[in-house]
Amino acid sequence: MHKNTIWYKSLLNAEKTCLKEDKIKKIHYKFDDGKEMVEEYNVDTHVLLRRAWKMKGKLGGEGKWAVEVGDPIPDATPIIDGLDISESKDQPSLLKRNTRVNIEWRIRNLPYPIETYSIKANNEDKYIIISTSNKKYYKKLEVPELYRLGLPIEQKNIDATHKYNTLIITYKKPQPLLDMDKDLYEEISKVKPMTDIPNECKAQ
Amino acid sequence: MASLAAAQVQEVRSITRIERIGAHSHIRGLGLDDALEPRAISQGMVGQKMARKAAGVILQMIREGKIAGRAVLLAGQPGTGKTAIAMGLAQALGPDTPFTSMAGSEIYSLEMSKTEALTQAIRKSIGIRIKEESEIIEGEVVEVVVERAAGGGGAKSGRLTLKTSDMETNYDMGAKMIDSLLKEKVQAGDVITIDKATGKINKLGRSFARARDYDATGDTGEIKSEIREQINGKVAEWREEGKAEMIPGVLFIDEAHMLDIECFSFLNRALESETAPVVIMATNRGITRIRGTNYKSPHGIPLDLLDRMIIVPTTPYSHQELREILNIRCEEEDCQMSSDALTVLTRVATETSLRYAIQLVTTASLVARRRRAAELGDAEQSDILFKPYSGYISVKTVVLDIAGVVYTIRDL
Repeated sequence: MHKNTIWYKSLLNAEKTCLKEDKIKKIHYKFDDGKEMVEEYNVDTHVLLRRAWKMKGKLGGEGKWAVEVGDPIPDATPIIDGLDISESKDQPSLLKRNTRVNIEWRIRNLPYPIETYSIKANNEDKYIIISTSNKKYYKKLEVPELYRLGLPIEQKNIDATHKYNTLIITYKKPQPLLDMDKDLYEEISKVKPMTDIPNECKAQ
Repeated sequence: MASLAAAQVQEVRSITRIERIGAHSHIRGLGLDDALEPRAISQGMVGQKMARKAAGVILQMIREGKIAGRAVLLAGQPGTGKTAIAMGLAQALGPDTPFTSMAGSEIYSLEMSKTEALTQAIRKSIGIRIKEESEIIEGEVVEVVVERAAGGGGAKSGRLTLKTSDMETNYDMGAKMIDSLLKEKVQAGDVITIDKATGKINKLGRSFARARDYDATGDTGEIKSEIREQINGKVAEWREEGKAEMIPGVLFIDEAHMLDIECFSFLNRALESETAPVVIMATNRGITRIRGTNYKSPHGIPLDLLDRMIIVPTTPYSHQELREILNIRCEEEDCQMSSDALTVLTRVATETSLRYAIQLVTTASLVARRRRAAELGDAEQSDILFKPYSGYISVKTVVLDIAGVVYTIRDL
């Protein structure tokens, strides 16, 4: 079923460039509408490690890369002065990971016990909403993987654990998504990696 | 969550002050209809139809950006509405278009050279609209903690906790932020927004509106050309990024015959630059000497500059038009006038000048007000205290009924 979605077709039609470095395979997609996306795969497990989109600056100029899945890209030039107010280091921080069978969100620095959290699927706005009974934390999690395939967010697929001040939310990937991951990886394998790698494309 | 709401562009409007009544305060526009045809009496404008229509055409050209870097000359006798047309044009262009008004003699100053004064005037007439994007933190203050390093002085560090209906967030603050928090007297319970980039704090829920002032000039002396180049560079960069757009405005130079030959030559050159505003000049001279030379030229302006100009002539007002103008001025100055008094004043305006007649409106209304305060009905006390220049003797005794008080103006 995923083969007919706009998303999958746009992935197939996109101009793809491949880089291979150690155990990581990087794919750069250039879509028809000018958008750019980069994916990183583990060659051994075939699992997506990171997916990032190139954002256009709202007022023009060079945009930044927005990470959809995986570890955030460290900021090469952090602005130290100028920002006189910033979130404390001890504030919750969200990280999204992709595993073979699950989509996983990790929220660090959340000290409250597991019964504090309520995690609800909200299909109207296509979000998973995390709220806390002590009103200390609230977050809407997007699940672009699902709505790209036109799948609903199902409460029964959501699971959560809490340990070491970290709340881990997992969403079990439905069968169509697993199929698509598999097909897409096969498709990517057809792209020949570049032989001479420019220096600035090294993995971070 | 202490939401990082999208940029909230606040419309900052200056507080309307009670304005003093100026000579052209009754002008609210050019008085044209949609087809740019002048209405007989509209927006404070009376008569002068040809000149107003011409100004309307110029207005349209400015709006369409077609006329940037060119000049317009308003020429006509004193008191025929040259300044009024320029003011009307400024009003019609709206507050977004920069309009600088100066007198030709303003450029002669010991502090700066003539060309510097002109350059500043020209640059003031170019507006730059800058779009800004900012991240805003908003929420209710739970607590503010400020820690000072032991032993006084030293670095301060602070912590601010903000909450919304659903969550709480802690922020670390630097010294500047702490200072501004203390200055704004932010306390627990206040709902505030903080602009992350500029550190501007805004208390919500209280009647608190602070005008943002982007006035970058404030100059008293000359501006170094290096600074201008830097600014030009920055603006060019912004324009390329689509962050800023240029609005060519209008520079109005009254009494343009007061400019000298150097200024004209400078203007010739300056008008060719791509950032030149529309220059409108007004003069009441006919053929006269160009200042700084022994040559005579129409309007005291060299021919090469005249060639770059569109000349709009104004003609003297008719009797009826003068009457209308005086009527408008009376309303503007909050006086009531009987029709007899208006007739008299119109005659004064025809025989002397419109300016003098308008003067009489103000003085007469003051006299009337004082008379009412003293005693009503005593006609002898209200003799006119002012005498126009010697040509005015034809009106012997007139009656002005202003604000319901009857008194006489007698030729002294």
